[in-house]
Amino acid sequence: MTKFMKYKSLLLVLSLLVSFPVFSLTVNIRSFDHEGFTRLVFEGDSGFEYKIESSKKGLEIRLNKKLTIKSSITTFHDSRLIDKIIHKVERKKSSFTVKMKSPYTIDRHFVLERPFRLVFDLVKSPGEERIQQSTGMKKYGNVQQEDQDFNYERPKKRTLIERICIDPGHGGSNFGAIGKSNLMEKDITLKVSKKLKRLIESRLGLRVIMTRTGDAEVSLDSRAALANNQKANMFISIHVNGSFRKAANGPETFFVSLKATDQEAFRLAEKENKSFEEIDKMAEDDELKLILWNMAQTEYIKDSSKLAEFIQNELNILLHTTNRGVKQAPFKVLMQAAMPAVLVEIAFLSNPAEEKKLKKDSFLEEVALAIYTGINKYIYYQNSRYY
Amino acid sequence: MSKKIIYGLVGAAVVFFIISLIIFLQSDSSAEKAKPAEAQSKSVEKVEEPEFINLKVFFYTERSRYMRPVLYELEFPPIREDLYLKFMDLLLKGEENYIKPIPEGVTLRSLYYIEDENLLVLDFNEELIIKFPAGTGTELEFIYFFVDNFCYNFKEIKKVMFSVAGNNIKTLTGHIDMENPFYPNYGYLIDQ
Ligand SMILES: [Zn+2]
Repeated sequence: MTKFMKYKSLLLVLSLLVSFPVFSLTVNIRSFDHEGFTRLVFEGDSGFEYKIESSKKGLEIRLNKKLTIKSSITTFHDSRLIDKIIHKVERKKSSFTVKMKSPYTIDRHFVLERPFRLVFDLVKSPGEERIQQSTGMKKYGNVQQEDQDFNYERPKKRTLIERICIDPGHGGSNFGAIGKSNLMEKDITLKVSKKLKRLIESRLGLRVIMTRTGDAEVSLDSRAALANNQKANMFISIHVNGSFRKAANGPETFFVSLKATDQEAFRLAEKENKSFEEIDKMAEDDELKLILWNMAQTEYIKDSSKLAEFIQNELNILLHTTNRGVKQAPFKVLMQAAMPAVLVEIAFLSNPAEEKKLKKDSFLEEVALAIYTGINKYIYYQNSRYY
Repeated sequence: MSKKIIYGLVGAAVVFFIISLIIFLQSDSSAEKAKPAEAQSKSVEKVEEPEFINLKVFFYTERSRYMRPVLYELEFPPIREDLYLKFMDLLLKGEENYIKPIPEGVTLRSLYYIEDENLLVLDFNEELIIKFPAGTGTELEFIYFFVDNFCYNFKEIKKVMFSVAGNNIKTLTGHIDMENPFYPNYGYLIDQ
C-alpha cells in the first residue's frame, strides 16, 4: 500500500513536470524616445526565438517560450509612439501585442547578446499607407510544428556596416584646447577627420557622414542626432587632448560605460579594503535607473569598447606608446549615439613636444591611417563573427 | 462559590495590571521628555573636547597621471557640512609641488549633502566656466580630483554632482557629461 502510494506520488510529480514547460522566461521591457525614433527593447533572462507581425493597429511578437509575468499590461504614458503592451501567456508560448498611439514603421530591428535583447527602432509614419504588412508569418500547426516554425525569421544578427559618422570635435567659436603657439584643437580635428573620410571612402567604399565640414559651431546634441537620423553604423569623434600636467602625453581612446571604475581601481581597493563592490553596486543600480532608460548608447557598450580597443592598438603601434588600454568616461556626445561610438584623443596640445608634432601634416596623415586601420579591423572582426 | 472567588481574584489582577501599566507608561513618557535636555548637554560637552580626523588628500604630480596622497589631520567640527567645507579648503588651496587642476579665481559658492541619496553637491562660481582650459584631460582631472577625494575620505559620500552659480551645466568645455552625478573612479589614484 505505502509502496504503491510512493509510486503514485512520483508519477504525479513526473506528470506535472511533463505537462508544464520546464523553461520559462522573464522579459524586461523598456522604451525611450530618442532623436528621430523610439526604441523598444525586450530583454530576456535567456534567449528566445520569436516571430513578428506588424499591422495597422500595432506590432505583435510571438515567443516560443512560456513567460513569467508580473502584470498582463505595460502602459507607456510618456512615450511618443507606444501606448501599451499586452502580455499573453499560453501553455508553451507567449506573445506581446504592442499598441501604438499613431501610425508607425519599423525602422530596423535586431538582436543583441549578453544579455539577450530584441531591439526595435520605431518611427512615426507620415501616412497610414506606410504601415508594414505582416511578413513571413506561418500558421501554427501542432506543437512540434510550432517549434520548427520558430527557427526562421530571425533578422541578421548585425546590421552591415555601411555608413560611418565622423565627428570633428569643436568648431566655430568653440576652439577646444589651445596650444602655446595658438594651435587650435578645432582645426586639427577637422583636418584629421577629412583625411580619415578620404581613407574610408576610397579604401572601404563606405559612406561617410561628417558632423561638420567647415569651421562651424555644432551642438553636441545635434552631432549625435545627425548620426542617428542618417542611420550611421559607427560614430567616431575626433579630439585633441589638454591637461593641467604639461607632461601628459599619448593617444587615448574612450567609450561610454555604465561602470564608473576601471580595472586599475582594484590595485588600490585591495590595499585599502574599501567597499568598492558596494560603490559599484550602487552605481549600477542608480545608472540602471537613470541612464539605461535614456541613453541610446546603452545597447552598444560592448561593441563600442571593442572598437575603441582596435583603434587604440593601432595608435599605440604608430606612436610607440605602451598600451594603457582603452578608457571609459561619460562623454556627452557619445551618450546619445545609437550605434557603436568612440572618442579618440590623438595627442596632447598642452604638451609642447606633442604640439610640435600636431603641426605636421604627415603626422596627422599617420594618425588618420592608424584610426582607419583600427576601424577596418573592427569591421573585419564583426563580419567574421556574424557572417 | 469557589468559582466566584476565582473570578474575583482574576478581576482584581486585571485591575492591578491596568493600573500598574498606566503608572509605568506615565513614568516612561516623563523620562522621554527629559531626554532632549540631557542629549543637548552631552553634545555641548562634545564640542568642548576637540576630536581629530586623519585624512588622505590625493594630488596630481607633473610626472605621473595618478594622484598621490598627502596626509592631513583636521579638527572634527560638530556639523558634517563644516567638515566638508574644511576639506574643500584643502583641495582648493592645493599643496606645494603638486598640481592643482583648478583655474585661478575659481571658488566654491556652496556645498550641500543629500543624505538619502549619499550625494554631495558642489556649486562653483562662474569663473569655472569662463576660465576652464578646454580638454578631455583637464575636465577629467578636475572632476575626479573632487569626486575621488571626497568619496575616498568620507564613506557616506557615494557620488558627487557639480553645478555652476546654482545651475546645472551640460559640460565644462564640450566633453564630459555634467548633468548626472559622478561615482568615484579610483583608477586616478595611486597609494604611494
Ligand atoms: Zn575636445
